[in-house]
Amino acid sequence: MKNVIKALTTLSCLFLLAASVLAGEINLSVAASLKEATNELADSFAKSHSGVKFLKNYGASGALAKQIESGAPSDIFITANLEWMEYAKNRKLIDSATIGTFAYNTLVFAGTPGKATSMQDLIKLERIAIGSPKSVPAGEYATEAFKKAGIDKQLEKKLVMAKDVRECLMYAERGEVDGAFVYRTDALLAKQTRILFMVPQELYPRVTYPMALTVAGAKNRDAAAFFSYLRSDEAKTVLTKYGFAVR
Amino acid sequence: MIPLAPSDYDAIRLSLQVALAATVLSIPFGFGVAYLITFVKFRGKMVLEVFVNLPLTLPPVVVGYFLLLLLGKHGWLGSLLNDAGIRLIFTLKAAVIASAVVGFPLLVRSLRVGMEGIDRQLINASRTLGAAWYDTLLTVILPLSAPGLLAGSSLMFARSLGEFGATIIVAGNIPGVTQTIPLAIYEYASSPTSETMALALCLVSVVISLVVLFMHELLARKMARRD
Repeated sequence: MKNVIKALTTLSCLFLLAASVLAGEINLSVAASLKEATNELADSFAKSHSGVKFLKNYGASGALAKQIESGAPSDIFITANLEWMEYAKNRKLIDSATIGTFAYNTLVFAGTPGKATSMQDLIKLERIAIGSPKSVPAGEYATEAFKKAGIDKQLEKKLVMAKDVRECLMYAERGEVDGAFVYRTDALLAKQTRILFMVPQELYPRVTYPMALTVAGAKNRDAAAFFSYLRSDEAKTVLTKYGFAVR
Repeated sequence: MIPLAPSDYDAIRLSLQVALAATVLSIPFGFGVAYLITFVKFRGKMVLEVFVNLPLTLPPVVVGYFLLLLLGKHGWLGSLLNDAGIRLIFTLKAAVIASAVVGFPLLVRSLRVGMEGIDRQLINASRTLGAAWYDTLLTVILPLSAPGLLAGSSLMFARSLGEFGATIIVAGNIPGVTQTIPLAIYEYASSPTSETMALALCLVSVVISLVVLFMHELLARKMARRD
């Protein structure tokens, strides 16, 4: 008897799961810096496709990769660097045929006006926020720029590690750090913080957002439809509006 | 051998440092509060008790956020300190304060239990024999509450080692400066390539906690035997 009940519960759970797939859910795993742009794109897609529901998960690209690897539901994966997409590809988490480029960005140093105007000025500062380079691409780009500029050793004990690029920005907004390494698009959303300087492009590789359907997402018709919407000209207009480069 | 990065050794050292400083700094205050609650009759005692125990039930993140509002650059105490050239947020001092606030109730609780166990007749006898209240405090109450003090401070030390929620908000996560063991594990845990590093530090954390708790139990046994 007990076994029968167990089997029945398992079955009904499975049906519930299946039902939720049928209801047109799209699970997004998207780099934190794309939050506003992706929200707008999802909203406008949902308007023309009734019944589609988005479950959005924004965070550090590395953390998202880990979640997907651990079995978190995800249909579309967009990262802020090539490394974590490559990682997901090597572990067969994504449908590698669908990998494409979503957008581009640039790295800036943002903070209270007057604190710094160049990379060399950073040495004089007390606290600088960067995303933890272990999982946050913005932090990885920043540490690479420090190394190339030859100031990585001097900055070592001044770096506050944030869990994603938006936490970095928040530290700067509250004035608890002298400045933060964020993307230009993040800094444009800030209220208090201003862009103090652009990080010279020769110091770090171009910020590229690759996107792909996950293995599960490739089987989800709604996810595939949204994925092609993300590549449309309409999507590019939205991205441009938020300050992203699309080519 | 488990692989530990140089920043991990820093984290272990910082954790011990923060826990020790928080505990030692809290002891005089904890003693004072426990004394007030146990021996002094005054209005609003319950309010004091509730406030002392509040950090025990509040989510540590809430404690951290309040501390940030208080001590931050624009906070009312923080702005005063800032003018005086003292910076707390994102320093080790902030980590100590966070741990002290969160661990304080544990210290006070054990101290109270210890003090309530003191034979009142001993206290009364010392007073009738002519000791001033501070004499009684120093020569009767203080030595007799030593077991409670030891138990409380070891418990608080252990709690401080694990402090995460309040610490990450006020002390940030600066490797080599404010990154304690829990913060380092948190950073590893969000990266898919640092699984073994996270596990190694978790193991260190378990070992330290076990050692401290064993010591705590040994002390408790000793206390029980003495009675």
